Parts: sequence; C-alpha cells; structure tokens
Amino acid sequence: MITFERVTKRYPGGTVAVDELDLEIPAGQTMVLVGPSGCGKTTTLRMINRLIEPTSGRILLDGTDVQQVNPPLLRRGIGYVIQQAGLFPHRTIEDNIATVPLLTGWTRQKARARARELMDLVGLDAQMARRYPHQLSGGQQQRVGVARALAADPPVLLMDEPFSAVDPIVRATLQDELLRLQGELHKTVVLVTHDIEEAIKVGDQVAIFRPGGHLVQVDSPQHLLAAPADGYVEDFLGFDRGIRRLSFLPASMLDLDAGALVGQQTSATAALAQARRAGAAWLLVIDAERLPLGWVAVSQLEAAPGEASLAGVPLTPGQEHTFAVDTGSLRSALDATVLSSTGQAVGVDSDGRVVGVTSYDRLKTAIQRADEDARAEEDARAEEAAPAVEGAAT
Amino acid sequence: MSWAINNASMLAHLTGQNAYLALVPVLVGLVVSLPLGVLCVRFGWLYPPVLGLISVLYALPGLALFVVLIAYTGLTDTTVMIPLGVYSLAAIFPSVVDGLRSVPEPVRQAAVAMGFGTWRRLVTVELPIAVPVVIAGLRVSAVSSISLVSVGGLIGIGGLGYLFIDGEQRDFATEIVVGIILIVILSLVTDTVLVLVRRALTPWQRGRGRLNRRADMRADLPILPAGMQMP
Repeated sequence: MITFERVTKRYPGGTVAVDELDLEIPAGQTMVLVGPSGCGKTTTLRMINRLIEPTSGRILLDGTDVQQVNPPLLRRGIGYVIQQAGLFPHRTIEDNIATVPLLTGWTRQKARARARELMDLVGLDAQMARRYPHQLSGGQQQRVGVARALAADPPVLLMDEPFSAVDPIVRATLQDELLRLQGELHKTVVLVTHDIEEAIKVGDQVAIFRPGGHLVQVDSPQHLLAAPADGYVEDFLGFDRGIRRLSFLPASMLDLDAGALVGQQTSATAALAQARRAGAAWLLVIDAERLPLGWVAVSQLEAAPGEASLAGVPLTPGQEHTFAVDTGSLRSALDATVLSSTGQAVGVDSDGRVVGVTSYDRLKTAIQRADEDARAEEDARAEEAAPAVEGAAT
Repeated sequence: MSWAINNASMLAHLTGQNAYLALVPVLVGLVVSLPLGVLCVRFGWLYPPVLGLISVLYALPGLALFVVLIAYTGLTDTTVMIPLGVYSLAAIFPSVVDGLRSVPEPVRQAAVAMGFGTWRRLVTVELPIAVPVVIAGLRVSAVSSISLVSVGGLIGIGGLGYLFIDGEQRDFATEIVVGIILIVILSLVTDTVLVLVRRALTPWQRGRGRLNRRADMRADLPILPAGMQMP
C-alpha cells in the first residue's frame, strides 16, 4: 500500500506541482493518475521512488517513509516503466531485462534465466533475447520495458505514460496485456496517463487531477462515469460517458426475448401466430443448431403462402449483429442493436447459439435497473464511514 | 624507391618515433578529457569556461609553444609532446562532452529509476553509449597529431618530419615524397585501428537500418590530414 499524507511539491519559482495531496493506493490494485498536462500526476508518481523529492508531507510505502530509504535501494524495489521504454541501447534484450537482478548481485546466469522467464510472460519470442533494442518495434520495446520493470519481482510498479508513444492498435494490445499480467501478478500498479479512456480501461481506481496539482476525485471507473464529482470531472470524462458506463454493466442483465425466435422449418402461418402472440414486428429465423439465419418481417409472413416453411422466404440480414450474453457488456448489446437494421440484436452463448434477441425497450429496462442498483449502492456507501480512498480530496 | 629500400631501417625508426610522439599525447588527451568531460556534463556551468580555455590553448601556434617550452623542458620529446597533448585535448574533450550528452534522456532517467548509483551509471551506461562519439574525436585527434609531429623537425625532434627538412636542405624530392607517403600510411593504419576498436566496443551499433548504415560507412571513411582530404 502507498499512502500520500499532505504531500506538496513546490518548485523554486513558486509553481505548485502537487498541492496537499492525500491519497491511498491499495496493495494489489491498479491506480491510474489522470489529468491534463501540468496537473501534477507525473510529479506525484515520481515522488514515490524519489526521482522527485516532496517539499512537505510524507509518502509511506507499506508503512515506511520513503525518505528513510537510500534512493538506489528504494528504486531497485520498485518497477518503473517510462514512455519511450528507455531501454539501454548498448545491451541485449535479455541483459536489459536482467538489469535490476544484476544490480542487486544475482549471478549473470541466474539473471539471464529470469530474463527468459519474463520474456515469455510478456509475450516476447525467446529468439529476441540476443538482439538489441533498435532491432525491435516500438510495441516490442515497450514489452521489454515492462519485463525489465518486473524482473526483480517488485511489489510496486510505476508506469509513466507507458503506452502513449505507440500507435493506437498496439496501445490497445499493450493495455490488454497489462490487464492480463495484472490478473496474474496482482502488483500495486500506479499508472500515469492523460488518456481518460486508458484510465477507465486499465484502472481499478482512477484519480482525476486538475491543473495546479489538485486531486479532484478518486473512484472506480464505473462510479466515476455514473457520478462525476463536479463539472470539471464531467467535462474530462467526455460527452459519451453515459454510453461508456455501459461497458461496466454485464449483458446478462438484459431480459432477452426468446419468443421472437422461430425455426426454419416452421410454417408461415404458425410463425405469424407466434409473432402476433409475442407482439413482434420481426422474428429471428434459426436453424436446427440454434444458429441465427436472418430476420423475417411480419408483413412477409402475411404475404407468404400459409403452409410453406420459412426456408423459402428471403430473409433480411442483421443476424451477424450479435453479442455474447455471458461475457459481453450492455455496451456491446447496445452497439449491436444500433447496428442492426431491425433495431434488434442477437444475444448468443459461447458457442454462438442464439439465447434471445434485444430491443431498445429491453435495453432501456436493463439500464434503468442498473441505475437503481447503483443508487442503492451509492446510498449504502454513503452510510458507511467514508472509506479511505474516498477521503482523498480534503 | 631504391633510396627508400636502402634507408629502410632509418625510415622504420622515424615512423616509430613519429607514432610515439603523436599517439602518447592523444592518450594523455583522452585520459584528461574523460574526467574533465564528466565534470562538465554534471556541472553544466563549467563547460563554457573550460572549453574557452582549451580553445585559447589550441589557438597558440605550435612553434611559439616550442620556443617557450625549450626554456623549461629543453630539446626533449616532452617539448614536442606537450603542444600535441594540448591539441589532442582540444579535439577529444568536446567529443567526450558531446558523447555523454548523446545519451538519450529516457535512458538516463531509466537508469536512475532502476537504482543505478551515480558512478555505476557513468561506467556501465553513459560511457559505453558515448563511445562512438568519443572515438570520432579520437580519430580526428590521432590523425592530425601524426601529421603535426613533423613540425618538431624544426627543433630536431620530428619523427618523419626529419625527412622534409633533410630533403629540403639537400634538395632531394624523393625523401620528401617518401615522408608524405609514410605519414599517410601511418595515419590510415592508426585510423583503421580506431575504427576496429570502435566496432569491437559497440556491437550494438551493427545493422542499424539502411540510412544509419550509410552514415556509418561514411563515418568509417579514413580521416586524412588537412590538405590531403579526398575530393
């Protein structure tokens, strides 16, 4: 756990980079510090491993004041990843990764073996061990940077804009990798970014800073999107926070309509009767395996000869707009619904078999239910004595 | 040609003396430049005055220095080597500073954040990365030192420079031509050795993209003394 107690950093010119910061970063979680440039987020990060010394206040690492620890020793116990990876150009990949183990006196053989382990962990081909950094792509270099930071198995990992120097596609991959790694390793991660999307994606907790070094709000991404503390946070979160919030709500909250599914061998008459019963304008035609084939409109059924099966009726595509009921979010369900020409999307299980279909009404019901749950939870939280993380802004 | 063969042992001796008179000052220049450069990078304000002082020394004509030095060191090798040492310093010192400054900021920062102490960072990160730039300075310094030694011929200690003075006095052109050829050969050999040393010390620079490789090849072209540059 990392604790900031009334930490201030004031530069000789009088600029205040960080102003009376109180913040608690729980062990084993990812805390993202986010804000525009000049908000003190990077200064905050660098004070943890004493790259910058605070003007006043204390920073405790598992109860020990970092000011009491010799800086090089402190730093060897804290992983550090920076923007351009900052790899040593004159050392091979394996020796780059082995840096901290070698500094702390491991044998070269043991340190290199550890480096190979880490290359595997961060998804780097073992063949790269003997190459030099300039022979790798930006994304690969950043993986090496992460591996190097993890080499001595430090409990704390500091990441200073780790993914902002790579292109968006590589960035998304690296973010996913971080989530996967963190799922395995449970480090205390402090990550600085100016990208609120990144903060929301990778953070267990997000701390939003305002220029002048003020902490405005610390909360889980979901709560942040649902209940921004003030107009500044609301603006910072962006215009579509209402929709982005849906990423955190599971698609399983939806009450799917199974009555709008119809087998391919059903007769037009029977299908029409089913549609009227269900009050549906469209039915989803499925095959014997419950895989979706396409949509059929009630008007088509009315025009079709009564006893013929649906196999001969031309179907309206849109069955490809599916979402995973078990693993998807309400956002993915909404997205599929918006994309579908029938205004309905198909919920499928992990084998791609149809569970049921959505509609805007059903989405609305699910979102309203989620809001009620959130309000109830909010009330419950308010009744508890304010938890530590909440007391951040004083 | 037959003159050169007949006088082979004298020529070998003069070449050896030339190499010795030229390269010991370069070595001394390097040894002085390293700590001085490190200091000037760490304390930035030191750099302009130190560089200024060295530039002033560099501007002093070699002959004038000889005249002054003879009073103290007499007609010895030292008298020739002191000015050459000063000139070497003037070429090598800025390259040490530039070399250390060529260490990318993220790399330096990463080294600090990984927990390198100051000394260890200097020796295992900053100096190795500075090697290519430092050696570029060494090459310029070594080659110009080799040709400058000839000036010492005026006080009788000039390595191959002796051939110029002797040839001129005897009006014997062959001797002068042989002297020039030997100086060029000595320069080329020394330069090649330095390029090989750099390659051995910087395996990490091999195969750096096509553009870089072209620059690298250009960097490996021999450095010739002033007035002998290839077109």
